[in-house]
Amino acid sequence: MTFEEAARELEQIVQQLESGQADLDSAIKLWERGEELHRICLEKLDSAQGKIEALAPRQPE
Amino acid sequence: MKVEARQYGDRKVFTVSAFNRGVASWLTRLPTVWVEGEVTELRRQERWQTVFFTLKDPGDGASLPVSMPRGQFDALRLELGNGEQVHVFGRPELFEARGDLRFRALSIERFGVGDHLAALERLKNQLAAEGLFAAERKRRLPKFPRRVGLVTGNDAAAKRDVLTAITTRFPPARVVVAETYVQGPRAAPALVTAIEDLCEIADLDVIVLARGGGSFEDLLPFSDERLVRAVASCRVPIVSAVGHEQDTPLTDLAADVRASTPSLAARLVVPNSDELRERLAQTRSRLQRAPLHLVERKRARLDGAYGRLRALSPRGTLDRGYAIVRTDGRIVRGSAELETGSRVDVELGEGGFGATVEETR
Repeated sequence: MTFEEAARELEQIVQQLESGQADLDSAIKLWERGEELHRICLEKLDSAQGKIEALAPRQPE
Repeated sequence: MKVEARQYGDRKVFTVSAFNRGVASWLTRLPTVWVEGEVTELRRQERWQTVFFTLKDPGDGASLPVSMPRGQFDALRLELGNGEQVHVFGRPELFEARGDLRFRALSIERFGVGDHLAALERLKNQLAAEGLFAAERKRRLPKFPRRVGLVTGNDAAAKRDVLTAITTRFPPARVVVAETYVQGPRAAPALVTAIEDLCEIADLDVIVLARGGGSFEDLLPFSDERLVRAVASCRVPIVSAVGHEQDTPLTDLAADVRASTPSLAARLVVPNSDELRERLAQTRSRLQRAPLHLVERKRARLDGAYGRLRALSPRGTLDRGYAIVRTDGRIVRGSAELETGSRVDVELGEGGFGATVEETR
């Protein structure tokens, strides 16, 4: 799962919870999933190692 | 043409004159061509039958002596001066007396910045007519590119500026740098190659073309048709960060977005790490508040329902000051059901008591 996907799903869950439509049992499940997504996002931000590579030069004809 | 040679034993020997004549004759078989260059060392004198100048390649300084009969030269009315860009139509010939190769001009056309501009304008119109610059072709840039390609010259400034801007804004960024020629005749095909090579990296999501400012001629490769087409047909979106604000090479028009500075290019291709953390923290606190709100809301609704339930129950009536009177376990609805001395139980909103009837009415 990419950062973008996790962040998007997290936002959807929050909106769903804020709408107040969910029943209590599913609200708890949503909240747990949200916490997990938040953790995934943070890990992505923290662990992603920046990297600068050089493309092997190819001599133009 | 047959060139006479003397025979010394088994060695065949030419005179200088015969050799030159032979080479000169062979050269006449070459086709007439256009050669582009800069006029230097122009020599024209009234008493000479021929005008001479040296055509110089601005790229690497290679030079070619050119001659043209003075009558033809004057008839062109070019008023040519040193340093001017020209296209010369002609063919090579050998000056036989000296064995010097020179270019025999048949026609000369001035080709200056204005002509470059005119040629560019024609190309621009043609490519625009093909729809290469159309707004609906522009693609959206990825918000979180897995890998960013950077095409740049090996000159420090442009490359460093873009890399610094990217890594400052988004430290986890992964960038692949393709160094290549960014000016001169080799630049356009080399830039195309660099873009193609980057596109072979599977998780590359966007490319930045970066080059600092330069003269009109320096930036010409960025208006080369081959490069413009490669940019337009690239499999990933391309950000053009070429030259300064006022320069508009054609790659700018074909690119998906134009960035006038390296930091703007960085802003376009990577998200801001700090903003991401900030937004994530906000989403988290909303996530934590949301279930509490939900419970509060449900409790409020429950309280309301319970209130209505109580209001409808006999209990609610008692709370308002009414009482229930029972005798022998039956609810007493009229005094006829009682007589003096009957034992009754009275139930109140809170508690109750037993009593004896003293009189009935």
